[in-house]
Amino acid sequence: MKVLRQHSWSFWRLTVQSASFALLISIPLLNFYLNFNLIQGWYQSLSFGDLWFVSPLEGLERILITRSIYGPLLVGMLLPVVLALLCGRVFCGWICPIHYLSDLTERVKGVITCSKRTKDRWLLPRQILWFALIGELLLSLIVGAPIFVFMSPPGLVGRELMRLVFFHALALEVFIIVGVVGMTLITRRFYCRYLCPLGGLLALIGHKRKLRVVVNPNSCIHCGKCDNSCPLGLKPQQGEGEYSQCWNCGTCVDVCPQESLSYRWRGWSSGEQHGQK
Amino acid sequence: MGMSFSPGRRTFLRSTLLGMLLAPATAAARRRYAYPVATNVLRPPGAVPEEHFAATCIRCGRCVEICPYLCIKPLDIRSGVNAGSPIIEIENIPCYLCMKCVDVCPTGALRRIPQAQTRMGVAVVDRYTCVSWKDKILCRTCYSVCPFMDKAIRLQEFKPVIDERHCTGCGICTHACPVPRQQGGKAVNVEPIYAREFTLPEEAQQIGGAV
Repeated sequence: MKVLRQHSWSFWRLTVQSASFALLISIPLLNFYLNFNLIQGWYQSLSFGDLWFVSPLEGLERILITRSIYGPLLVGMLLPVVLALLCGRVFCGWICPIHYLSDLTERVKGVITCSKRTKDRWLLPRQILWFALIGELLLSLIVGAPIFVFMSPPGLVGRELMRLVFFHALALEVFIIVGVVGMTLITRRFYCRYLCPLGGLLALIGHKRKLRVVVNPNSCIHCGKCDNSCPLGLKPQQGEGEYSQCWNCGTCVDVCPQESLSYRWRGWSSGEQHGQK
Repeated sequence: MGMSFSPGRRTFLRSTLLGMLLAPATAAARRRYAYPVATNVLRPPGAVPEEHFAATCIRCGRCVEICPYLCIKPLDIRSGVNAGSPIIEIENIPCYLCMKCVDVCPTGALRRIPQAQTRMGVAVVDRYTCVSWKDKILCRTCYSVCPFMDKAIRLQEFKPVIDERHCTGCGICTHACPVPRQQGGKAVNVEPIYAREFTLPEEAQQIGGAV
């Protein structure tokens, strides 16, 4: 923990995000030019040798639509689901290429316009995220075909990178990615906040997660810096860091001048505060 | 009238809703989108039936990445809900039945299957354009390249004949067929087994164009 705190959480997050994005680029390169098949795929299914991951949303949708269970699929979904159970939406905050690209877009915009922070121009009720998830699953069941092929941008990024390496061309899906990333200029992480079904599912799985951002009310001076910094528009100062939709990115922990905000590993029930440091 | 939900009614509503969600999708729902498979455009080996394929595949692209011949391509968004799912255009690059893709599929969209039992489609010899059948020229390209020579393609009086019992639909014969496009396309084509519309080429046009 001490080694970690030598740098800010943003530093670590950016490192992990960059590494994840580099992985997305290097996997098709390795497969195409070196025939190195040990690591494969992207965030719909990723394989390291015989360790296979399957994205929970895609796996769930496949099970719902085909009405059949497939063992390898369930095993592949196991680790991501456990991660979400323990840590919530950490995939969104620390790995997802859309968040990374949005972050970069925001930084570039900050440099161009010399403004430190993007305003959230269009705010909607946070509950829309749940309806996006339910709507997506219901629509898939009605159509009898998965809708995530358009609505799951993290997968699209991987697919387009692969297409670029393998076929030296991009498909029209790029415009979905550009649109999703571009929406961050209107409201920060607009898609992640309100529309991403994968984020919704991970939040739902992790609504009783262990890793949370907790505010210490004794040292908090109510400066509001954390409320302004949260890319999801949550208010950590009012304890919203414990909301299921928080993706544990640690931006608020970094900006807090009093160090009142911190990551905490806590028990399953939210009221359980004693017995830990 | 009070809106008090009796336990019986609640159970009924719940089970109805659950039933609606879990009941098998009707065939009509599956037909709402067009199948991307067509003549010479096929799914990789071991694929589940086309009506289940779009739902079973999670578009992870690992079959595309592992294919050593680059014959598997992901579809793009113009194919609607089939965007991202794998397809083989055998006229460009046929499937050489290395069976690597079936080993990496995490969802069971491609099931493990012995090489000889693969049924991606079935080859059909067009006797109106095939030079062996039409012009009595001794061309036996398809026969020579077939990985199941003398089983899937036999020569009958020096003319190629397909045996559906052995043809895997790999498309190597189609890829090799020397009949040029101007003469109405390949003389041996692979039809998806579940094709609904299969029409023979128009006779007059073929003979006119062959001159």
